[in-house]
Amino acid sequence: MALARAAGQAGPGAALALLWLLVRAAAPPAVCAPGDSGCLRLSVADLFDRVIRHSGRIHSLSTALCAELENRFPARDNELGKPARRCPTAGMLTPNGKEYAQKIPREELTYVILKLLHAWKEPLSHFNQHMEHHQELPDDSLSKAKQISKMVHELETGIEKVTEKMQSMGIISNSLHGMASSEAAGFSSTNEANMMSDSDFIHCFKRDSNKVQCYLKILKCRIMPENSC
Amino acid sequence: MQQKLMSSIQIILLLPLTAMGLTGQSYPGKPKIIRCRSLEKETFSCWWKPGSDGGLPTNYTLFYSKDSEEKIYECPDYRTSGPNSCYFNKNHTNPWTTYNITVTATNEIGSNSSDPQYVDVTSIVQPGSPVNLTLEAKTSASITYLWAKWSPPPLADAGSNSHVYHYELRLKPEEKEEWQETIPVGMQTQYKVSRLNPGMRYVVQVRCMLDLGEWSEWSAEKRIQIPSEELPPEKPTIIKCRSPEKETFTCWWKPGSDGGRPTNYTLLYSKEGEEQVYECPDYRTAGPNSCYFDKKHTSFWTIYNITVRATNEIGSNSSDPHYVDVTYIVQPDPPVNVTLELKKPMNRKPYLVLTWSPPPLADVRSGWLTLEYELRLKPEEGEEWETIFVGQQTQYKMFSLNPGKKYIVQIHCKPDHHGSWSEWSSEKYIQIPNDFRVKDMIVWIIVGVLSSLICLIMSWTMVLKGYRMIAFILPPVPGPKIKGIDTHLLETGKSEELLSALGCHGFPPTSDCEELLIEYLEVEDREDQQLMPSHSNGNPSKKGKTTPRETDSDSGRGSCDSPSLLSEKCRESRALPSTLQTQDVRDVQENKTVKRSWETQCVASEQKTLLSNSESTKSSTWPAAQLPDNQSPMFAYHSTVDACKITLITTNVNVAPVLVENEEKHQSRYSVTETVPGDMEEQGEMENLHSKTEQTAVQVKQNRPNEKSPFLNGTLMDYVEVHKVKQDEEPAVLLKHKENSGKTENYTIPGTSKEYTKVSTVVDHNILVLMPDSRVQHTPMSQEPAKETSQNLQQGQAEKNMSYCLTAPSDCKRETSGSEYMDPSSFMPSFK
Repeated sequence: MALARAAGQAGPGAALALLWLLVRAAAPPAVCAPGDSGCLRLSVADLFDRVIRHSGRIHSLSTALCAELENRFPARDNELGKPARRCPTAGMLTPNGKEYAQKIPREELTYVILKLLHAWKEPLSHFNQHMEHHQELPDDSLSKAKQISKMVHELETGIEKVTEKMQSMGIISNSLHGMASSEAAGFSSTNEANMMSDSDFIHCFKRDSNKVQCYLKILKCRIMPENSC
Repeated sequence: MQQKLMSSIQIILLLPLTAMGLTGQSYPGKPKIIRCRSLEKETFSCWWKPGSDGGLPTNYTLFYSKDSEEKIYECPDYRTSGPNSCYFNKNHTNPWTTYNITVTATNEIGSNSSDPQYVDVTSIVQPGSPVNLTLEAKTSASITYLWAKWSPPPLADAGSNSHVYHYELRLKPEEKEEWQETIPVGMQTQYKVSRLNPGMRYVVQVRCMLDLGEWSEWSAEKRIQIPSEELPPEKPTIIKCRSPEKETFTCWWKPGSDGGRPTNYTLLYSKEGEEQVYECPDYRTAGPNSCYFDKKHTSFWTIYNITVRATNEIGSNSSDPHYVDVTYIVQPDPPVNVTLELKKPMNRKPYLVLTWSPPPLADVRSGWLTLEYELRLKPEEGEEWETIFVGQQTQYKMFSLNPGKKYIVQIHCKPDHHGSWSEWSSEKYIQIPNDFRVKDMIVWIIVGVLSSLICLIMSWTMVLKGYRMIAFILPPVPGPKIKGIDTHLLETGKSEELLSALGCHGFPPTSDCEELLIEYLEVEDREDQQLMPSHSNGNPSKKGKTTPRETDSDSGRGSCDSPSLLSEKCRESRALPSTLQTQDVRDVQENKTVKRSWETQCVASEQKTLLSNSESTKSSTWPAAQLPDNQSPMFAYHSTVDACKITLITTNVNVAPVLVENEEKHQSRYSVTETVPGDMEEQGEMENLHSKTEQTAVQVKQNRPNEKSPFLNGTLMDYVEVHKVKQDEEPAVLLKHKENSGKTENYTIPGTSKEYTKVSTVVDHNILVLMPDSRVQHTPMSQEPAKETSQNLQQGQAEKNMSYCLTAPSDCKRETSGSEYMDPSSFMPSFK
């Protein structure tokens, strides 16, 4: 259900990427004999590696875009400290340290990741529209922004896939959807994002993409500690 | 000699002495007492400066005497005051006495004493410098004072610190050279300096003195900043914040000028989205001017707003805010356990394996922090680093390293996607060994070059001395050692003759060698010899012409085979023995012309043979009978035959030498071997002689067919061979006689033409001495050599035939009696 909706929103490119992800995700178990737990675990690890790499790419893109925007619109007087800045996901409670991230239940961490990604989908599409009206921005930045938006969709789909797989394998419980629905309302509105400067917005996103990657790594190492952790 | 020895010994003895003189070993120099000093008037010490030690270990002894006594004492304590000193403790110190002190230096060679020093303890008192000087600037009622405090000098003899010192203090502004003033302090150990310029730095020193004696040295300098008036500290600067492991972080700041006043620094921070301001939780852990945020106080993905405030009694000043997102200030420690290992796999180039561990603080296993590594290396003497990004792995293999160089390797790490690179790890060195393969290559190249050189030299020498070398390496196939094999024959490929020769050799008694048939006495003249080549060459043609009767007389076999000839001869010989004899006697007498019909000659010869045959006793002597001159009565009875024979022979002789020469080498020998098997030495001699004779082989070969006859003469024993051999200038005659058991006699014939027709004596075992006979016929014969030769040949053949008959008498008889045909082949098998 969520999968189909994601695909519908992302358009043909995203659908293709999703298809690729699904095929790639489905392939390893097909090769392995059913019931071979090691083989299944490997495939989950493979999926994790893939989504971690994907999130890493998103983070790199956002870092590059952030740098471009900050170069173009130099922050006056150490923009970082501007109290007015408030990221779209600022209201979300996310683990802000290692211990917290390690203590939080896997399901919750998974949920946090999904929640973060989901929260950024709409602001990113708004941001893209906004960027397109920015005549002075180079095409490179625009394409990066679009790329980011697309990749966030793909990443969400991939993580959903991993989640499903983990749920099917009993690695995490199925209580995820309830949480998602209960806290869905907690996201900040897009209005807030609109009030931010472009560079602030991207800065926020950059941070969250890093967060997602970090959580994914933690999650992976918690589930499969033997796997290059 | 002795003198020299002595002098050298003297030199040797002198050497050490001069060496001693040169090395400067001598008396010690004169020591000098530098000073004597008492710190507190109760004890005192003296120091001296040693003179030159004379190159030898030197002992120093201090002696003193007191003015009140005559006695001389030695120093009681050399140690307490350090080297080259003497410490007089309380017991040895009398303040009311003058000491007379000398220092004596002694070594193996001698001793030397210093000038005496007179010491009055009271006058040499000088205390040590005061210690523990501390300065403090104090401000009260807007007036700044400087408080200085110190302690009295320490004493070696602790515990009796009851002495009273007077102190002096001096100070100056730091930048000035001259001391401003020296302030007498009195007996206090502190002093308050006023009237100072605020904001300046001062340097302070103190010194002390006992109630008598000298002032001590000035103490160590102390500096102090006199605070300027009413100024808050300058604002500090936050240098940096860093998280080494993405769990905690630390911030450092640099204080501004504090104006000399004690200043407090406070770090305040606030987190993004929060209004509340917190103070630094831990100022100590990370050292001075820093703040450590432990795990509890470290949040990620949030921005810290950090300021540092400097506060003194006048006021405070805050730094610029520093915004920190801890995620991006992660800078790990450098990797540890960097190991370099050189792997040398078989059959491959060695490579370098680098392994390292992540920094111990970084928790990479949780996935919270992922490190990426980068290593750099360069040759030790190189300028530029080669940097290699490794990724997340903790080992790396390097293949492309220059052998024989020493490399420096360093590694640093960085969290992926954020943070900054760590410091470089400590330098690790690795010596890449020289590629032994390169060495091998060089060795092989050298070997190759050397071997090719050797080959070149070899081939060169081969070219130069090719034959010798070839002969050395491939010795020539040894020629058949069979005596009598003529290499010329081998070369010319006349296998027939060769084989016959061999055959003769192989089966001496039964051989079918014609040579054994040399039944006539051959006497040669030198002149004839010279004529020979032409004769022999002309032989075949002449023969054909002059002897129409014997058409096939070219070959001996043919002549032998021809039955008519044989039978005819045989018949003749038998039919007319007596007549012929008489006839021949006459003929022989007329033989000087040698124009006789050959028939008669032949008959005569045949007759002779018959005679010889019949007269077995004579057979031995028939060569003698051959002797041409029948005048000798002894041989008259068969003189005719002999004459005939002799003519034949004489004529034949012209050819014979040539014809026989080489044959003799092989054949005559055989006859000898047959007849005198035991007389090998003689053969050797003969061979030698033969070899000496110089005749062309070609001629022989040409003539041989003529001479050769298929006579298979196993029974030619009765014949005697006389070989005329030309030996250098003088002709020699070799005569072989069967019956004389092959005695051979060598003659050196002085005359040009002599014929030996008589056996004079028998010398030794086997030498026949022939009597020379003047030959009249000789000349004409030589004048017509061609005819004679051909005829002689024929005659010879005929004779041979006859001789064959003789040898096989029964056969001959048979032939002669009836068949008139003699098939030599019928005899052949018996010999084969």
